[in-house]
Amino acid sequence: MRTMRLITAAAALAALAYAGLAQSQEGPILIGASIPLTGGVSTFGQHSRWGAELAVSEANAKGGVLGRKIEVDFQDNRCNPAEAVKSVTQMLSEKKYVAIFDGLCSSAALAIMPLVERAGVPFVVANASATSIAERSGVGGNKWTFKVNPTDLSMLDALVGWLDKEGKAGNIAFLGEDSDFGRAGSTGLETALKKRNLKLASVDFFQKGNADFTPVFTKIKARKPALFAIYAVDADFQNAMRQWYSVGGGVPLTGRVLVDQVPKEIMDSGFLDGTTSVQPYDPSVDTPGNKAFVEAFRKLHNVPPILVSFESYEAMKVLIDAIRRAGKADPAAIRDALATTKMPSILGTTIEFDDHNLAHNNAIILTIKGGKVMVVGMSKT
Amino acid sequence: MRSGPTRILLVLLALAALFAIPRLTGNEYLLALGVSFAMFSVLAGGLNLVYGYTGLLSFAQVGFFGIGGYTAALLVTEQGWPLWSAAAAGGALAALVGLVIGYSSLRLSRHAFAIVSLSFALLCMIVARDWVSLTRGAMGIPGLPVPTLALFGREWRLSRPADFYYLLLSFATAAHALMYLVVSSRLGRAMRAIRLNEPLAQSQGIDPLRYKLLALALSALLAGMVGGLFVFYLTIVDPSIFDFYYTETMLIMVILGGPGSFWGVLASSAALAALPDLLRFTTDLRMVLYGAILIAAMLLFPGGVAGWVQRRRLQNWRRPRVNAS
Amino acid sequence: MDPGFYLQLLLNGIVIGCIYALIAMGLSLIFGVLEIVNFAHGEFYMLGAMLAYFLTMNLRLGYAATVLVVTVSAVCLGYVLYEALLVSVQGGGFERSILLTLGLSMVLQNGAVFLFTTTPRMIQTQQSYANVAVGDLRVSLMRVLALALAILAFAALYLILYRTRMGKAMRGVAQSREAALMVGIDPRAVSRLAVAIGIGLSGLAGAALAPVYAVHPLMGASFVFKAFAIIILGGLGNIAGAAIAALGLGVLESVMGGFLPVVMVDALVFSSMIAMLLVRPQGLFGRGVRV
Repeated sequence: MRTMRLITAAAALAALAYAGLAQSQEGPILIGASIPLTGGVSTFGQHSRWGAELAVSEANAKGGVLGRKIEVDFQDNRCNPAEAVKSVTQMLSEKKYVAIFDGLCSSAALAIMPLVERAGVPFVVANASATSIAERSGVGGNKWTFKVNPTDLSMLDALVGWLDKEGKAGNIAFLGEDSDFGRAGSTGLETALKKRNLKLASVDFFQKGNADFTPVFTKIKARKPALFAIYAVDADFQNAMRQWYSVGGGVPLTGRVLVDQVPKEIMDSGFLDGTTSVQPYDPSVDTPGNKAFVEAFRKLHNVPPILVSFESYEAMKVLIDAIRRAGKADPAAIRDALATTKMPSILGTTIEFDDHNLAHNNAIILTIKGGKVMVVGMSKT
Repeated sequence: MRSGPTRILLVLLALAALFAIPRLTGNEYLLALGVSFAMFSVLAGGLNLVYGYTGLLSFAQVGFFGIGGYTAALLVTEQGWPLWSAAAAGGALAALVGLVIGYSSLRLSRHAFAIVSLSFALLCMIVARDWVSLTRGAMGIPGLPVPTLALFGREWRLSRPADFYYLLLSFATAAHALMYLVVSSRLGRAMRAIRLNEPLAQSQGIDPLRYKLLALALSALLAGMVGGLFVFYLTIVDPSIFDFYYTETMLIMVILGGPGSFWGVLASSAALAALPDLLRFTTDLRMVLYGAILIAAMLLFPGGVAGWVQRRRLQNWRRPRVNAS
Repeated sequence: MDPGFYLQLLLNGIVIGCIYALIAMGLSLIFGVLEIVNFAHGEFYMLGAMLAYFLTMNLRLGYAATVLVVTVSAVCLGYVLYEALLVSVQGGGFERSILLTLGLSMVLQNGAVFLFTTTPRMIQTQQSYANVAVGDLRVSLMRVLALALAILAFAALYLILYRTRMGKAMRGVAQSREAALMVGIDPRAVSRLAVAIGIGLSGLAGAALAPVYAVHPLMGASFVFKAFAIIILGGLGNIAGAAIAALGLGVLESVMGGFLPVVMVDALVFSSMIAMLLVRPQGLFGRGVRV
């Protein structure tokens, strides 16, 4: 009797030990992500999620990494630093996530940075645009934060360089949304122009959610600028485009015009021909990697990827690549592996981090001609 | 009604338990919830003071909260002030603004005051976003430094979440103690009188303006101070501190707990600060639920949970008892 | 600056002003008759716009039919709203009504976000990009139509308020509830009609503007606070005052926006509302209701 019990106990223990061991060997590798799933910019959160998920499923289809599958846990931060702190603190306290991903909004990402530093977990920023993120990372700063998307400053520098070559940079009017994105746009343009002893002809901001652009468009047109830089996204951009059309346009657009979100009728009519825009990404970039990405994305979601989807896709690929090179699912090892990243981007360049943990992928310069978006140049940022 | 001593004992026990939590568990998430609870309880308590006790519907709380946050952040980063003074200054400025707004608009009808308080909160957000030279605009002021507190002769660096937990919990306790003193004193009775029947209160020699201003200034002071402390926990202050979402949450806490009930609002702020995260509702559904609660409360139980409890008690008390004779 | 610039600004302002007026008048009517500040007013505008989008893009209804269907639905919705919710908080202290409508706005807005996401949708029809041009001045066709609808709505409202018995009853209740009761007016029926008309106007505004602006669940929020400012400036409860204040605000915004930074204009709107309340609480045109 007693022997039976002993054997059963031993077997149970052995089973537990095996299960425990197996768990730690074969459980998925967990990544925590904090993005705005609800609230005003939830469209971007949605696309960020889709991009990241595509990268993860591609990796998992090849057997995962280190013999384990990858799983991403998405938490909502409503583009609000208080919510970001709460959601990331919660994830970090569970001690099962090997890395934190995105943040999306600059203020959220900035609030997350001290948390990951304290917890010793790497943080990969995919979309946030604030220059201060990279300024505070890497050498002399937060060693756990890595920023994959280029700063606005560097992209606008590339754009202004391009425009200056054609002699058009001297009379640019600026209209941007009143947020960190819009303000980064105006500062970026002004800095880039100052380097060439030029400045913006006028600067205007509008409140997000503002529906009516006709007064400010009328004002800007009356000043007869040579170019009009517009920094708007989402519903504001749609409204602006339609209203720009109804006031008759007349000034070529520039800045970070979301050429892939212009309403089809406006695009087809040739109304926006002559627009020059700079973006970190465009679906029409002609590289095999990008074509495959766009097609896979379209098949899954019936819409083409936007900038945010691409940035999250590549940032997640960078993270997965780092985990693979680290050899183990240990946050510190992953951090070290991230620092030595040399991964090919689907845009045809190589992603490497500088000493401020910032990658310098190409910026894409686009124009619209004959109602079609064309890539006319790629510039290192 | 529980007797006085029992109540005090219960309160002390609860406080002891709350303060012991960081020792018992290192779970940072619990501490984050605790910080959130401490912050919201002060905001909701202040709103309760203004709306629940004095009967003034005000949307301005979030404005005071943000003013305190920005003031403290700027004083520390630009002028090198220590944390306590910066937060106190934030509270003082908020109280001053509250007095100015109150004095000029309380002469009006309550409709008008409610709308003025709403526009004040909206204006705060616009100013925070557009007065870039002062507030850094939409970028906010990130990287707020780890604050140090001079306490009992030693310098205490607030670098761990547990430190902020202790700090905000202590502040919330002190704030509630102050509010409790006010509401159980003659001041509180005067406020309640004003809410119940202002002309009658006036005829009894109570000057409504003075008490309304007092309630407003006190709630502003506390909201401003807690804002000044909270932004250091976040390490960033940006215009989203004026988000309408805070106002909606505060209102729900007060309405659900019962306007005018000190313990009711405290309990509901605890429940609402912790529960939604534990239930992992998406925020949209949570706001739908809050809206539904608000509607239901207005239609069915305007006194909140505390009011319902009170009514049940009275009903029981009035129930005829069968005489065993 | 050439006069064409000023004229264009003026024209833009008039169009925007009439659109504001459409939204503000409904709000003012509801306040005047029921003394309720309808926080959810912007959400009915949004619902009207979303319904218009659905009808135009999915069911391929024409413009006139869409506007008609949306307006009628909004009127019925207003009726239901009154009977279900507002009738019980009437007269129970205005805080209850503000909080009730605030709760309603939270349910509607967040529910819409949950169901439809915040992705903006634009109505694309053949007329979406047509413009009306007079010399150098241009206005998009859809805006002209919206303007026409607004004027029609004003006219209809005027006729109802001043030429029908029901309208007279509404004005009477707005002036003094007790007196109206005393002369035998049924406040409940009158209030119901006022809410139905008010929400109807809001829905109509949504249908008129859906082809002009992008349609998304948060579109109501930006208008509603301005609408509050307008009814305060015009005089709480004074419908004609609200219309005039709306027009004035639209023109002012447009003209100032031509010279000042646009964000300052918003701050100006709210500051002037606060200033008006402090200096002349009954608004520019005096009351409908005790202030």
